[in-house]
Amino acid sequence: MAITAGARFAAWEWPSVNTAASTDIDDEVLVRAAQGGDRAAFGQLYQHYVRMVHAILLARVPTAAAEDLVHDVFLQALRSLAAMREASRFGPWLAAIARNRAMDFHRRAKPTDSLDAQPGPTDAVENPQHEIAIEDSIALLNAVRELPDVYRETLVMRFVEGMTGPEIAVRTGLTHGSVRVNLHRGMQMLREKWACNTPRAEKEKSS
Amino acid sequence: MKNDYLWDGFGEPDPELQRIEKSLARFRYSGETPEFSSTEFVQPKLPRFAFFTRWTPRFAAATLFLVALTTSVLFLRLSPLQVSNAPGWDVARLSGAPRVGNFSLVSDSSKAQLRVGQLMVTDNSSRASLNVAEVGEIYVDPGSRVRLIESGSNRSRLALELGTIHAAIWAPPGEFVVDTPSATAVDLGCAYTLHVNDDGSGTLRTTLGWVGFHKDGHDSFIPAGAMCATRPVQGPGTPYFEDASEKLRGALHAFDFESLSAADREQALHTILAQARRRDAFTLWHLLARVNVDERAQVYDRLASLVTPPANVTREGTLALDRQMMDAWWNAFDLGDISVWRFWEQKQAPPLLKKAAR
Repeated sequence: MAITAGARFAAWEWPSVNTAASTDIDDEVLVRAAQGGDRAAFGQLYQHYVRMVHAILLARVPTAAAEDLVHDVFLQALRSLAAMREASRFGPWLAAIARNRAMDFHRRAKPTDSLDAQPGPTDAVENPQHEIAIEDSIALLNAVRELPDVYRETLVMRFVEGMTGPEIAVRTGLTHGSVRVNLHRGMQMLREKWACNTPRAEKEKSS
Repeated sequence: MKNDYLWDGFGEPDPELQRIEKSLARFRYSGETPEFSSTEFVQPKLPRFAFFTRWTPRFAAATLFLVALTTSVLFLRLSPLQVSNAPGWDVARLSGAPRVGNFSLVSDSSKAQLRVGQLMVTDNSSRASLNVAEVGEIYVDPGSRVRLIESGSNRSRLALELGTIHAAIWAPPGEFVVDTPSATAVDLGCAYTLHVNDDGSGTLRTTLGWVGFHKDGHDSFIPAGAMCATRPVQGPGTPYFEDASEKLRGALHAFDFESLSAADREQALHTILAQARRRDAFTLWHLLARVNVDERAQVYDRLASLVTPPANVTREGTLALDRQMMDAWWNAFDLGDISVWRFWEQKQAPPLLKKAAR
């Protein structure tokens, strides 16, 4: 695929779950460089934070909308970056933009728009790599979305985006302790919800 | 230990967690790397020799402009009539020695103008007022830093970097705006006090009319008698009437700005709903868009018990945050017509964003 000279961020390969997180000190340097007009630095920030942003959106809006809104969030960040005073708070600042964008999506959405109730057209054909039925995946994602904000965001980052606990802490600005608590309490709540809400359990209940 | 796997993916794999990972990994972000218009970021570099092709006419125009400006300034200085069409704001000293740019106002008779881009600073013993006939009057308290960002026929914009201002505005709604480090205050026909702390957090108190407090698409509306706190990361919190119960105000603060456990969050929401009076319905209206689906149903039920839902507003529609229904709710509180805000919002809409080809 042709790449427009100078205007495209560097290609990105998703890291595996065990990828070590880069430090926030690195990001501070990148933020300052981006504020000074360094496009490559902003590209690197995009690479570091796109999964966090997608997770925050996916925890709140339908899957297809989340992908669209990722771009909007980074555009908004790009436009406001010069006004950001604390480079060390880039992650929480970006997360706040993503949450607000998700809220805005709901404010503007039609009442019929809901979270993923049915498999989308791209999901209709089963990916052979996935042994788990798409309905189960959607039901599980929706169960995560019903958790309180702090838990669902952390669980989506961990399970959907494959981020590790330390990486989540670095990106979101939360302490390791908070991320641990969110992961464990969130998992506990998810287990309780999932135990009685799986499509199979629903079928068993109805039969 | 199995818990280590949840934390960082190391250690003995937990089959249940692996199954969840496998099930949810299909939703992982897979969008292509985006392409932003170069104008969104930095100006493209000029090609070689472009100076002669592009800058010569600009240089000529700039020279002409400077000559015209110098002539105008000389004319105004020599003219017996003071023509008051400059874009600055009149500054008057109220006490101490407020500073405008490098100029200090030290006597009652001394006046100055705050020009676009210029900073006005009051030390701990200084107070000053800013005045524009068509817009309104701003009183600046000691220990404040105020910058004039924009001054035009239909738009006036200040930045309050630190300290406190009291604004009495008679310009049409939406024309006077104040930026703070954590939110932007939009006058909707009112008088208000805006305060900014060292860390960029702040508060807005409305004494007349109502004010929109806005950040990154996150809005709070503050009617007369109400206030709203704001933080650099979270933006404006949920507004409330200052005569609301102490319990309600404390619970709202925790709900908006503290990292609560699920149990504490539930308790805070319970307190807010239990303490809300009919007058606090507007606070619950703000909460609707700030809570999760389960919590939203609770908020709706309490709101509907305090105020009869307007015509054509349904529970389902409100829970889905349908914009028309949310607007109808707001108008039912009789605290200001939300169409004024929607009009302002529309005027701020950025040009169409250039989307990446997907």
